[in-house]
Amino acid sequence: MSLIQAEQLTKIYGQGETAVTALDHVNLSVAPGEFVAVMGPSGCGKSTLLHLVGGLDRPTEGRVRIDGADLTTLDDARLTELRRRKIGFVFQFFNLIPVLDATENAALPLTLDGVKPAEARAKASEWLTKVGLGNRLRNRPDQLSGGQQQRVAIARALVADPALVLADEPTGNLDTRASDEVAGLLKQVSDAWGRAVVMVTHDPRLAAYADRIIFLKDGAIVDETRLSGNGAEEARAVKEKVEAL
Amino acid sequence: MNIQLTLAARYLFGRKLRTVLTTLAVVFGVLVIFGMNTVLPTMLEAFQANILAASGQVDVTITHQSGEAFAVSVLNRVKAIEGVRAAAGSLGRTVNLPQGWFGRNVNISAVSLVGLEPRSAQTIRNYSILQGRFLRTNDSLAAVITTSLADQLGLKVGDEIKLPTPEGTVALTIVGLRPARTLPGNEEVLITLFEAQKLLDLPKRINTIEANLDTTDPARREAIQKAIEAQLGKSYQFGALGSGAELVASIRTGQAGFNLFGFLALFMGGFIIFNTFRTVVAERRRDIGMLRALGASRPTILGLILAEGLLQGGLGTAIGMALGYLMAAGLLNVMAPMLEQFIHLRLGAPIVSPALVAMTIMLGVGVTLVAGLLPALSASQVTPLEALRPATAEVVQRAIGLGAIVGAVLIVLAAMGLVSGNTGLVAAGGLSFLLGLVLVAPALVRPIAVAFGALVALAFARQGTGTLAQGNLTRQPSRAAVTASATMIGLAIIVAVGGLTTSLAGNFLGILRKTLGSDYLLLPPALAVWQSDVGANQDLADQLRQVRGVGAVATMRYAGAKANGKPVSLLGIDPATFPQVAGLNFQVGEADTAYAELARGRTLIANGPFASDAGLKVGDMVTLSTPQGERPYRVVAIAGDYLNAKVTTAYLSQASLREDFRKTEDIFIQVNLAPGVDPAAVEPKLKEITAQYPQFKLVSGRAYYEENKRLFDAAFAVYYALFFVLTVPSLIAILNTLAIGVIERTREIGMLRAIGSTRKQVRQMVLAEALLLAATGTAFGLLAGLYLGYVMVSALSSGGFPVTYSFPLGGLLAAIAVGLLFGVIAAIIPAQQATRMEIVKALRYE
Repeated sequence: MSLIQAEQLTKIYGQGETAVTALDHVNLSVAPGEFVAVMGPSGCGKSTLLHLVGGLDRPTEGRVRIDGADLTTLDDARLTELRRRKIGFVFQFFNLIPVLDATENAALPLTLDGVKPAEARAKASEWLTKVGLGNRLRNRPDQLSGGQQQRVAIARALVADPALVLADEPTGNLDTRASDEVAGLLKQVSDAWGRAVVMVTHDPRLAAYADRIIFLKDGAIVDETRLSGNGAEEARAVKEKVEAL
Repeated sequence: MNIQLTLAARYLFGRKLRTVLTTLAVVFGVLVIFGMNTVLPTMLEAFQANILAASGQVDVTITHQSGEAFAVSVLNRVKAIEGVRAAAGSLGRTVNLPQGWFGRNVNISAVSLVGLEPRSAQTIRNYSILQGRFLRTNDSLAAVITTSLADQLGLKVGDEIKLPTPEGTVALTIVGLRPARTLPGNEEVLITLFEAQKLLDLPKRINTIEANLDTTDPARREAIQKAIEAQLGKSYQFGALGSGAELVASIRTGQAGFNLFGFLALFMGGFIIFNTFRTVVAERRRDIGMLRALGASRPTILGLILAEGLLQGGLGTAIGMALGYLMAAGLLNVMAPMLEQFIHLRLGAPIVSPALVAMTIMLGVGVTLVAGLLPALSASQVTPLEALRPATAEVVQRAIGLGAIVGAVLIVLAAMGLVSGNTGLVAAGGLSFLLGLVLVAPALVRPIAVAFGALVALAFARQGTGTLAQGNLTRQPSRAAVTASATMIGLAIIVAVGGLTTSLAGNFLGILRKTLGSDYLLLPPALAVWQSDVGANQDLADQLRQVRGVGAVATMRYAGAKANGKPVSLLGIDPATFPQVAGLNFQVGEADTAYAELARGRTLIANGPFASDAGLKVGDMVTLSTPQGERPYRVVAIAGDYLNAKVTTAYLSQASLREDFRKTEDIFIQVNLAPGVDPAAVEPKLKEITAQYPQFKLVSGRAYYEENKRLFDAAFAVYYALFFVLTVPSLIAILNTLAIGVIERTREIGMLRAIGSTRKQVRQMVLAEALLLAATGTAFGLLAGLYLGYVMVSALSSGGFPVTYSFPLGGLLAAIAVGLLFGVIAAIIPAQQATRMEIVKALRYE
């Protein structure tokens, strides 16, 4: 049974003549523990898809089920609770609260859920250590490099034990080495820790870390590739596909 | 710690300057409310203890109907009554002195010997001592007199004063001197109650009880007085409360006025907080969006912003109260010598009631929370998606919205209220005008900024910074408008009060000069409470008329009457001589025809309060109750004089007063000298004649005018100082907005510097923006202030208290100066911040 089950997912922005169809009757299912990359040119609807799956936005048509729960029927409070408990997010920019240190940032989903501060901190430092920041627990975001900041964000995405991690261009702001580290870490999230990961990216090299790549164009899925793990070669194939779009 | 509080505290700490400024805004509002409400009750208390007491008007004076002494135990019965704050008994009597008792050249015919219980007496009145000390309970043959008596007798502390008593002549040692007696009446010689009982041979007896009540609320005062009457029974009589009650009422009006200004200050504080929180929310949209994505619920976000408000509100209120107390203490300290010098008012320690503390905390924290609520609600509406959108500089371009339309309607309504001339509508109009301006402000910011921008652009033409500043201001018109509104309220207060005081001073002094402009006045002991004055028969006026050099003498006579069941003072004037010496200030009708009509009898001139109270117009008939029964009188004019400006009064001919009321006693006399006569030649003779009538005090008209003018000036100086304090929050508002603007535009400023702006240009840009803001606020402020001042003056006028509006040029210029000065001062810190930015850091700033 799939963790994400999206059916006929449609999102239209605006009305009448200015209406823009960002997503056009998309069907998608993601299995538990699977690492899926979403690729496509700007404006193809990648981010919209991620927002709808993450319960950050509501579809115009169609439905999304996460672990059996239909997001389209939930009210704001229930949706917020579901995000807090079932989904972890990693964004491109502005990922961390500048006035909180690494541990406090990573602990946020737990703190917001009313978990005792000591317990939340303990869990947060545990995950920070797992992502390789055991020596940076008390640093504030402005004292961390971009790659380290994204790792804090990944630790935060995992701290509440969600089944699903959503990442929107998580390496958009990073250099090549840091990008590889982050993508590798996301692969670990899926392989070693068994969380499903959906990552939006425009970089074929990073997409090659995934188990499956979905290609979007003009709001619809136009192609899909399952990867076998042969990094360099597959990356080249993906690149060609992207360029063909 | 709770996550919201943690975050709130961290954010506050992360933006120190802004936190300080916003907190300061709360501090100031609270400071004004707390400070003023500490100063005023203290003054009120002092007024009650001093002024009322000094003029023989403590709250309640109890004597026996026979005028004889009674047992001390009565005092204890009064003290036990709830609502009596303090009570003291005294034993006094007038001691008539044989001719030449103090020597040939001293003209004192009587003194009042007053026995007091030193401790309790001081709970009723403030006996200030200039030299020596006050009486002590175990003093024997000790006396306290005034410096004026001491000077007349050539005595000083330690000397003896001899007085005749039923026990024979006693010599009392002077132990202390009180300030000179300014009020008419006998000089007082104070001794201890025990001593008085001994000297007057009345052991354990007193003949007067004076009590002060614990409230100024008229209904409650009446209830307490009733309770005292019920306790003591019919054989005791109570001193007239009339004039004292009126004074208390006018102090209460003053207190309400000050509170209004305090609320305005807090209102300004609310604006500043609102502005800050709106910026905070705008700045943190991304953080908030991310928190929402991570699963923070809407109430959590709401709580986060409100927690910040609570922290700042709590801190600001605490500091504000501390500073408010210090300000009150300082202000009282500064005012004390002035008040003591001019109106013999001695202030006690600042009074802080628990109710005031509770109210201040509620207001301070409450206003912060309310001001933060709207931005907090808008923060809770931020969607998680906001965290994911790329940043774009926000430029708000709002078309003329609903607010502006509502505002315009309010302003039109206000104007209609003003035109209507109805007091209630005029007052409501004032409020609606202010509210209207606040609502219209956002729509007006652009045109005004463009207009002033042209000026600023000219001033900074070569740097091109003026245009930038103008653009910066208009891209957040609502924030600029809120700032300008805060400035507006501050300056409007200056201009409005300027308008009111200039008009009041001009009118009062004008009326004073017109109606009491004679060369000499013979004042009775109490002014405007004529019924308690003992007058003189016609001999006194006749004697004065016969003095060589005297040109004209006019007298006033008094009778009490009721018109439509309400009391009215009737003053009899001689229509022929009165206009030669004094005059009335005519609102409706002509002086010449009115006096001519008055001479025909059964006619009257009503003053403003009487006409307004009884709804009288010229030509109306009004029925007066006379000892002969009811008599119809025709109103021939509406006019008043200075002394009776606040008392319902009608002026009759002395002939009518004699015929219908059988009154021929002169209670107030004005004397004019013949043209070209040297006052020095006439004054000794006038003094000699007046001396036979000790109930009158001879004062030169000029001295009386000067003394009143000094009083006015002193009062206005205090007012101006207070209102200047009230404008400080507008300085903070500008400073706050500029600082927010600089923080918000850190990247832009970095970019400007990167492409070659000098530090000087950046500084000028901030300064230009500050001046634009200040100019906009000042423009609104002047407009609102002129209007409000006019409204206050018209409100007074329609209440039967005619005041002509004088244009407050001084207040206007002061407001412009203050406004522009604030602009420059406010620019200093933000400009420094902007110029000191490191380019690379600024560009990376998120």
